[in-house]
Order: sequence, then C-alpha cells, then structure tokens
Amino acid sequence: MNLFQKSNRPAVDRSTARLMFRYRATNFLVSFFRYAFLICIGYIIIMQLLFVVSYAFRPESQIDDPSVVWIPRSLTLENFKIAIEAMDYFRALGTTMGVQVLSGLIEVFSCSLVAYGIARFRFKGRNLIFFLAIAMIMIPPQMTAVPMSLNFAHFDVFGILGLIGKIIGKDIRPNLLDTGFTFWLPSLFGVGLRSGLFVFIYRQFFKGLPKELEEAAYIDGANPLTTYIRVILPSSGVAMLTVSIFSIVWHWNDYYLSVLYFSSNYPLSVMLDQINSNIFNTTGILAGGADGAAMAGVFLFILPPLIMYMILQRKFIASIDRVGIVG
Amino acid sequence: MKFLQRRPSVERKKNRNGFLFCLPWCIGFLLFFFIPLIQSIAFSFSKVSVTTSGFELDFVGLENYYYILFQSPEYVDNLLDTLTTFGQQIPIIFVLSLIIAMILNSKFKGRTFFRSLYFIPVIIATGVVMRYLSGSVALQSMQGSAGDLETAYTGTMVNFQQFFEQMGIPESVSSMVFRYVNDIFNLIWQCGVHIILFISGLQAIPQSLYEVSKVEGATKWEEFWFVTIPCLGNTIVLVIVYSVIEFCVSTGNAVIQQAYTVLQKQQIYHISAAMLWLYFLIVACMIGLIFYLFNRLCLKKWQ
Repeated sequence: MNLFQKSNRPAVDRSTARLMFRYRATNFLVSFFRYAFLICIGYIIIMQLLFVVSYAFRPESQIDDPSVVWIPRSLTLENFKIAIEAMDYFRALGTTMGVQVLSGLIEVFSCSLVAYGIARFRFKGRNLIFFLAIAMIMIPPQMTAVPMSLNFAHFDVFGILGLIGKIIGKDIRPNLLDTGFTFWLPSLFGVGLRSGLFVFIYRQFFKGLPKELEEAAYIDGANPLTTYIRVILPSSGVAMLTVSIFSIVWHWNDYYLSVLYFSSNYPLSVMLDQINSNIFNTTGILAGGADGAAMAGVFLFILPPLIMYMILQRKFIASIDRVGIVG
Repeated sequence: MKFLQRRPSVERKKNRNGFLFCLPWCIGFLLFFFIPLIQSIAFSFSKVSVTTSGFELDFVGLENYYYILFQSPEYVDNLLDTLTTFGQQIPIIFVLSLIIAMILNSKFKGRTFFRSLYFIPVIIATGVVMRYLSGSVALQSMQGSAGDLETAYTGTMVNFQQFFEQMGIPESVSSMVFRYVNDIFNLIWQCGVHIILFISGLQAIPQSLYEVSKVEGATKWEEFWFVTIPCLGNTIVLVIVYSVIEFCVSTGNAVIQQAYTVLQKQQIYHISAAMLWLYFLIVACMIGLIFYLFNRLCLKKWQ
C-alpha cells in the first residue's frame, strides 16, 4: 500500500506538482477506505461483545423495553447471581481448569516432542508420521469420539488389560468416563484436541532453527533429550506461545467431547449450554425470559480467556509474524 | 570393508533417537486415533449393542447407509442444506479473510489495535457462545419487526430491496446479497483463524519480489495475481482445509447436529457413525476436487 511515498523535494514545475497532488490524493483515498473498512468490520465484532456486557448488567425489567438500547437506566448484579448459581460457576470453573486447561497445557509439550523428532532427525517413517499428523487435522474429532467414549468406558491398552483380566477372571479394565483422564491421556500422547495442527506449527518452527544450536550442545556432551529440554524448548518460546494460546482457548471452548465423556461434573462450556434449563428448574422462569442471566453467563464464560488474551495480546500478535505457521 | 560400511554411523545413531521422540505419539496415535477410526468405520457397517463388558457388533452390511439415505427422515435434506451453506460460506470467508489479512499486513497507524480486535473471535467464537450471541434477543431486538439484519444496521429509513429493484438489479441477485448481509456477523466471526493463517503466509513472502515487480512496472492488481497469490499457494491449501474442518466441527452444522441427536438422545451408535461417514466422504471428495482444480487451473498457469 505504500507505493506512493511523499518526496521531500520541493515541487519544481507544474507537472511535478500535479503528479504529487495525485499521489497524495491516492494515498489519502487508500487510507480512508482502509480505515472505513476496518472500522466497519471492527464494529460488527465489537457490537456483539458490547451487547453481552450491556445485557449482563441490565435489570430484567429493561430487557424488553424498546427505549433502552445500549445503556441501561440502572445497573444490577442480579443476573450474575442467577448465572453463577445456575452454572454452578466455581465448581465448573474448577473442572474446566483442572481438566481442559491442564490437558491443553500438556498438549503444548507433548506436541513439541513429536514435532522435534520429525523436524530435526532423519529416520525411516519420518514422513509417514508427518503425513499421519496432517491426516489428523483433516479428520474431524466427531469421527472418533463415539468409539473413544465406548473404549474409555472399559479402558484397555491394545487388549493387554483385557487379557490379564481373563486370566485372573476379573474385569480390571477401569472406567475412565467422567474423569479427567479422558482428556489428559490423549493430550499426554500428543493426540488430543486438534493436536495435528500444533504438531504442524511446531514442525515448521523447528525446521527454521539453526543447526548450530544442537551441534554446540552435542559437542558439549548433551544427549538428544537434554538438548531438547535445555536448548530447543527455551529457544522456541514464540511457537510455544502461539500453540498454548490456541490450545488453551480451544480446550476451554470444547463442548462436543465434554458432553460425550462427562455425565456429571460438567465443565463450563456444557454448563453454559444448559443455563436456560437450569434457571427454569430452579426459579421457574422460562428460557428466553431470563436473557439477562444467559448473557451474564456468556460474560462469565468468555471473561477468563479474554483476560488471558489481553495480557498476552501484544506478544501473540508479534509471534504470528515470527512463527511462520505456513512457512 | 563391507562390515564397516554397515555399522551405523554416529549420525545414524543419533537419527534413531528421533524415532524415540516420536514413539509416544505413535502409541497414542494408534490407541486414541487409529483404532477408534477403524472402529467407527466398523460401526457404520454393523449394529452396535452396548453390554456390561463393552459392546458387541453385528455385521449388517450397507443397511445403515440404506436406512439413512432412504428411510430416515431429514438426513438427505440436512445433507443438502449443509452442503449448500458450505458452498456459499467458504468462498466468502476465504475472500473476506484474505482481504482483511492483506490490509492488516500493510503498514498503517493503529495496526496493532486493529489486529488485536480482529483476533478476538479466535478467542471466543465457539458453538455455545455463538449460539447465544447470534440467537440473542439483543440481535433480534435490533432486527426489528422485519426480522432481518439489514434493518438493524441501516434502520428502517431505506428500503434497500426496493432501491435495488429500481436500479434494475434482478431480485435473485439482490436476495443473494441480502442473505450474505444478514449473515455477516456469522461470517466475520468465523474469519479469525483464517486471518491469522493468511497473515503468517503473507509475512513469509520475500519483500524483494514486490520490489522487483515494482521496478518492472507491475500494477497493484498484477502484483496481487502474480506475486501474492502464487506465493500463498501453501497457505491457501491450508486455509481451505482448515475452513472445511471448522465447518465440519461447528455445532451449527445440520448433519452433525442430527448425528449428535441420534447419538445422545437415542443411543443409536451405528446410525450416527454412518451419517458422519457419508457426510465426511462427500466433504473429502469436495476437498479433493478443490485441490485438483486449484492445481490444474492455478499452479500450472503460474509455472
């Protein structure tokens, strides 16, 4: 867009002056339309958030009031009280933190491990592993979720536990449903929620690291694992930041798998989904009538990731320029 | 001599460690991805009955597929519905996010602010929140009695439908435009990750190419088609794949919704698996077709 730069030299004759005018005019028009476009789209994005905030703090009586559009006449915290109660907020927050966010963090490390293996070593099957990781991106989790949930009900590692159980004569396959293991185990092996994409991002990043980093470590007598922990991980902060933001956010927002794997002790996303029926059960207000409370629930749900984003936002944006996800 | 050559070199030995790095992932892949995937294919060809010690499969052949295609209510309708939405939304999202990414990638004042604003949907755009946001009374109250969004943004002062008609634009075109306008909130909120992918792709294009094209006297338009787009090749593929996945996963998807209802409310695992597989096969064919056309029409031309 910076094709026409202002020149500092004074205009000499009329044709130069005319050209300069044309340059400036184009420049002005380009930036005018750019800002107009950005502001329009930005408005669409921000409008929804403002509405959530506006509704969350609005008393019930003013929701159907056509004279109140943006700013309520009085503020109330009543909606939050109802929403916290209906969502069982603090218990659900605990579940989300302990199960979803924790497994998101585990994934940040487990995915970098395999990505390091395929990015920096040449061994047979390397390309196959990379291909499989890409295939994992392409196949939606819905495909495997149902057999997974059935398997988790009688968890077995390649039939070994079942075999032992047959010998002993007792079924020792544990039921992992409704526990955190349904999320922790896949994450631990690097095949959790959208891990294919994370392996891809890491691999692209590791490919770009200079070879000298590792060579220096090897000469100093480090084995590959210590090299990975002491040298590679500390220098891949940028990629880790990108991946951890994506990972935490997607785990936080996950709904489908949580519903399948959990039958009680639901995380926040499921509780948010059920908020209207929960309100109806406790207070008898019909769903839709308690729109303020639902919006308060949405507000409480998106607040923690938003705060995280606001803190990390600058680094995240800088990291997008540097990670080279596509490379 | 031969013996010596066969001995693994230090380099070889080190490379073997690479496999150790991948070993946990390979186990996990088999255990948590590959086996369930095979099971899910098996489910779609059989009858699943859950017992106390796991589940049992009775092979029934193509019966499940026959059922969902010819006997089940709504499945075919849902499928067509989903595929049409898919065909309508993906190109728009693609173009929109490319434009936004190109603007956000250029240098101007307030770039960081706009970037952090435009990435917000990445953080909070999910099925559950989106359902509350787009179905909220807030939006509906804005839409007014007409019930569509164009009045929400412009007020009821201007009747655009009539305006377009008077300008001589056929109704089919204007109604299509209105459909997109009504859906704009949805579309823009889906763009977040695509914008990120495009920006990182744009960053990877060497600046020297633009300088060369400037020296050669290319216009902006030519620069876009002969420098930006060819260099974005990989990104474009990635974005298309990503949007397809995102679309598959989204809870607003009618087929996924139906498969989910069958699964959760009625506990019929095999029908649900068959529904998902049929849908996925069609989508996979579509991706394959897109890639083929992309390779054939675009990449060949540039080389």
